[in-house]
Amino acid sequence: MLWVDKYRPKTLDQVMVHQETAQNLKKLVTEQDCPHLLFYGPSGSGKKTLIMALLRQIFGPSAEKVKVENRNWKIDAGSRTIDLELTTLSSTNHVELSPSDVGFQDRYIVQEIIKEMAKNRPIDTKGKKGFKVLVLNEVDKLSREAQHSLRRTMEKYSASCRLILCCNSSSKVTEAIRSRCLNIRINAPSEEQIIKVLEFIGKKENLHLPSGFAARVAEKSNRSLRRAILSFETCRVQQYPFKSNQAILPMDWEEYISEIAIDIMKEQSPKRFPLQHLPYLIVLLFQIRGKVYELLINCIPPEMILKRLLHELLKKLDAELKHEVCHWAAYYEHRMRLGQKAIFHIEGTEKSYFGIESAHTTYEINLTLEVGEMSELEDKF
Amino acid sequence: MSDIRKWFMKAHDKSKDNGGVSKAANPAPTDTDSAPGGQESSARRKTSKYFPAEKQKPKDEQREELPAKRKVQNGSDEKPPPSKKPSKIDTDDDFVLPKSKNSVDVTPSKKLKSGSGRGVAQKAVDTVDSDEDDAKDLESPVKSGGRGRGGRGASGAPAAGRGRGGGRGGFMNFGERKDPPHKGEKEVPEGAPDCLAGLTFVISGTLDSLEREEAEDLIKRYGGRITGSNYLLCDEDIGGRKSAKAKELGTAFLTEDGLFDMIRSSNRGKGQSKEKSKESAVSVPASLPKKSPQKTELKTAKVSEKGSTTTVSSTKQRGQAIQHSSLTWTEKYRPKIPNEITGNQSLVNQLHNWLAHWNDQFLGTGNKGKGKKQNDPGAKKAVLLSGTPGIGKTTSAKLVSQMLGFQTIEVNASDSRGKADANISKGIGGSNANSIKELVSNEALSVNMDRSKHPKTVLIMDEVDGMSAGDRGGIADLIASIKISKIPIICICNDRYSQKLKSLVNYCLLLSFRKPTKQQMAKRLMQVANAEGLQVNEIALEELAERVNGDMRMALNQLQYMSLSMSVIQYDDIRRRLLSSSKDEDISPFTAVDKLFGFNGGKLRMDERIDLSMSDPDLVPLIIQENYINYRPSSSAKDDSGVKRMNLIARAAESIGDGDIINGERNFNRFGGWLGKNSTMSKNYRLLEDMHVHILSSRESSSGRETLRLEYLTVLLKQLTGPLREMSKDEAVKQVVEFMNTYSISQEDFDTIVELSKFQGHPNPLEGIPPAVKAALTKAYNEGSKRRMVRAADLVTLPGMKKAPKKRIAAMLEPSDDVFGEENDDALPENEENSSDTEDLEGTTNGEKLQAELQSLNSKGIEVQMDLKGTGNSSGKKAPAGRGRGRGGKVASGSAEKKGGRGSGSGAGLGAKRKR
Repeated sequence: MLWVDKYRPKTLDQVMVHQETAQNLKKLVTEQDCPHLLFYGPSGSGKKTLIMALLRQIFGPSAEKVKVENRNWKIDAGSRTIDLELTTLSSTNHVELSPSDVGFQDRYIVQEIIKEMAKNRPIDTKGKKGFKVLVLNEVDKLSREAQHSLRRTMEKYSASCRLILCCNSSSKVTEAIRSRCLNIRINAPSEEQIIKVLEFIGKKENLHLPSGFAARVAEKSNRSLRRAILSFETCRVQQYPFKSNQAILPMDWEEYISEIAIDIMKEQSPKRFPLQHLPYLIVLLFQIRGKVYELLINCIPPEMILKRLLHELLKKLDAELKHEVCHWAAYYEHRMRLGQKAIFHIEGTEKSYFGIESAHTTYEINLTLEVGEMSELEDKF
Repeated sequence: MSDIRKWFMKAHDKSKDNGGVSKAANPAPTDTDSAPGGQESSARRKTSKYFPAEKQKPKDEQREELPAKRKVQNGSDEKPPPSKKPSKIDTDDDFVLPKSKNSVDVTPSKKLKSGSGRGVAQKAVDTVDSDEDDAKDLESPVKSGGRGRGGRGASGAPAAGRGRGGGRGGFMNFGERKDPPHKGEKEVPEGAPDCLAGLTFVISGTLDSLEREEAEDLIKRYGGRITGSNYLLCDEDIGGRKSAKAKELGTAFLTEDGLFDMIRSSNRGKGQSKEKSKESAVSVPASLPKKSPQKTELKTAKVSEKGSTTTVSSTKQRGQAIQHSSLTWTEKYRPKIPNEITGNQSLVNQLHNWLAHWNDQFLGTGNKGKGKKQNDPGAKKAVLLSGTPGIGKTTSAKLVSQMLGFQTIEVNASDSRGKADANISKGIGGSNANSIKELVSNEALSVNMDRSKHPKTVLIMDEVDGMSAGDRGGIADLIASIKISKIPIICICNDRYSQKLKSLVNYCLLLSFRKPTKQQMAKRLMQVANAEGLQVNEIALEELAERVNGDMRMALNQLQYMSLSMSVIQYDDIRRRLLSSSKDEDISPFTAVDKLFGFNGGKLRMDERIDLSMSDPDLVPLIIQENYINYRPSSSAKDDSGVKRMNLIARAAESIGDGDIINGERNFNRFGGWLGKNSTMSKNYRLLEDMHVHILSSRESSSGRETLRLEYLTVLLKQLTGPLREMSKDEAVKQVVEFMNTYSISQEDFDTIVELSKFQGHPNPLEGIPPAVKAALTKAYNEGSKRRMVRAADLVTLPGMKKAPKKRIAAMLEPSDDVFGEENDDALPENEENSSDTEDLEGTTNGEKLQAELQSLNSKGIEVQMDLKGTGNSSGKKAPAGRGRGRGGKVASGSAEKKGGRGSGSGAGLGAKRKR
């Protein structure tokens, strides 16, 4: 079993990183009725772990007995029925799902599942929790409609069902929902905390950790505990015993993106093809497009591509260009999320900015264009 | 309303009484056709009175001469509306009879016009003039001129000669027509505008240097007319039918050179007549505005006079038409009375009759039998007007109804015309069809009750062939409406033979509108142009009419558009304009090639050529390639040896080759490459989701799909492939299989992981793994799957249940320590409830007796336990499960095997199932 899963704390008491939060949560559920909760924080900070531990705290070990189910919903939406299929994880006391997987029809799922749960309300025997828990992942990806419909159902069925919402950014959750929940921010663990965890694992696995190695892993992990543990294990598979200067491999896709970044930077030196400068650039553009395709095919979300690419480029760019590049990256990310019809605008902006910026800025733009385009396509299909 | 009719009739009488007078002051507004015509001609007369220059008069004559002639023809084949008479008389007394004027008179008239052209007439007359002499004469001054206008114009000319000439010549076959012997060698002269106005030509045989098309173009450009009989234009006396007839009729023969001379001389004369022509150019526009206010005055006068009698609405309409000059011309000059409608007069009359008698026939008490007996068109309750767009169907329908005092209700494609709701209680507010129904049926009452008060109504269903998708059952409903209708219904469509209208046709009187002839159109256009102070000659307007293919509306629009930029419109302007506007049409590859090779092909702009060749980028080059050798390039005009021509052909061939290469590279839009990639991506997402479900069901991890991809995948890959590469075969296989079991990764998931980690230009993640190890892994996995606890059961069919639940029951994996219920499968539904109960209970008792609970739970088990014979070695950790070995009943083991079998196939099956 992977260490990430092996050493995942099962109870609130075992939690190593956010101990204080864990204790608060414990008090919250043991002393009084649990309100709706909204966990938010960067990925790899332990939201899910906390939620699972919390569920266990509420319902006991039965919360861990989950079954995976591919459920079908037939929703009667006036004139037609909508068929939806979604994978859910459920135990007797809770249901976990990511409604955003069904795209724009998430609204129906949200309404339907809550009603359904309210219907089958557990019998309120003495001392028993009279509610079920619905865990919704990626609430920030819910459509606006779904969030609005959630807001009503949250109140209406609050007697029989509690919601635990989980997301990365609370800014994309509507105000209304946030105010109905107890917001719990889960910070990214500090590097020291990560080092501590890594050392703990090392000890458990009887590994010899060279000094500074854990620190380096932690540093590379971008303060994501999951990242850290996973790459720690990768290193372990790669080479053991560890050397203190052992290279910590990036993820495969990150590697690929950094290659793209190198490609982009490379065209800055037109000396290589002085005669056919422009055609070469175009060829390069096609190459880059191919690579972006490749990433997308391999199920890398476009936002991540964009983000990572920007990150890689920033490492290499001159200071005065950084600002510009960031601006455009942000601009196109925004458009990408707007999706669908922005493609025409993008084409337009491409034309207007070509030649204004210095060469590689335009290429960065171009690239973001590509990524933007893809996401639009995705939306279409 | 009926009084309007009376009044109308009166007007008629009046105009009849007035006879030929038809002064502009004639108060009858409904004095059809004659009124404007009469006014105009009188106006023109006035202008000619104002400018009695000798130049002006013939011009006017020529302009009017032909319409007059046409009118005679029209009059013969149409039932002439009574109101036509005055106009005829009008023209008659104004002008010399056209027939008598034929060939004899022409020369003097021409003389008059072309002022200084003395010698021309003689030249025109001497028909036998051999062209050789002339050619010689001309050749010397030409020199480079050959490449000028004539030369370029001739570039692709043979095509025209071959392709089109055949059709026109009638008896001329493709091969028969020779190339002009001195093609492109003569300079085509520039002449004074309209120098050939009023002259008509017949072209016969091969001309000396011009293609027939070119000659036609030339003649038209200078205001001449083809297919008249003033001149027979031919260079060689071929003695064909035409020349024989010409001789018989005494038509003047004219050679090409003669023609050129005529044109040229007019140009030379321009010096002298310049002032005059200028004067006339200025004077005519000057006179026109003068005229139009006059006219509008008259109209307003009419309106005011009419005010008492006509309905308010029509007054308004007219008032508007006059006041707002910003109206489009199509609105402004929409015919106000039926006789103004261009063409199709007989149909309009028919419609008029039908509508006029409608009430008598269908509403007259007890007349029904009679109505049926009658075999006249009135027997049908509805009428279907059909015809191409823009020829005035809607206008005539409206006008006729208006004239007969019907109130029109127009329903066109912009209204939804679906089937009426059977449930009328929904009211007429909602569906339009309902309101139609209402209208159609209720009219009976009102008409019977007080006919005088209630205005009669007519329903105009415009664009019935457009009733389609959105208007379900529209046609059927329409037919039903027709059957019960108490009011006349006029349906209008473009294509009478449309499949949709098949049923409707039986219930309607069919009136097929024809396209008006170009002369008819030109006449009307001329009226409009005059009213707008636009100077156009009739030839130009005829060309326009021809180009728009009978669409009056389009012609007016074009004319208005052109009027914005110029006040004098020449034949060439129209030609140029419409040539570019016709680009928008869909061109077949053959017409495209025809145009490219056409006699004007050389004059096309580059973008026009590209447009043409892109009309079908595959076929056009092929047709070009097939034919280009046949054409004689104009640049090789004076080339005897053919060397020049060969060179040119070689260059063309090279260019065609280049084109093909570029085409091969497909430099223009490639098919969106992403589309292909997209499907791969969605497939991969599906696979990823499968794996995600499997891993989730292993309950070791509960990460999201994206996290799985972004963060776990690398490690998973390392864990899965690393050992295979480094450790010894058995050990590695064992370790990997164990790992796979922990996360319930199936063989397919393994492939998925590998697939998703593949990047172009990167080494395959499986590289370096000896095939033997791979094979061993597969084997070990498959073997294991027989004994493995099935963790992710894909669509378990529960025996005993009729229908397999569509749930994918993921297995629980706690190894069962005890020997309970082999037939879990059967008992599953009940057990589920049980277990939930027990669990609920246990929930209260804290989590202390964890172990015990687990066991008891497992005993009841929601889980589908397929584990049976020895989970043994592969999952050593779960040794306790081994105990269950003995328990495997037949059923269980059987199903286990089934499971196992499915285990390997599950990925694929799943994939298929999840395709959405």
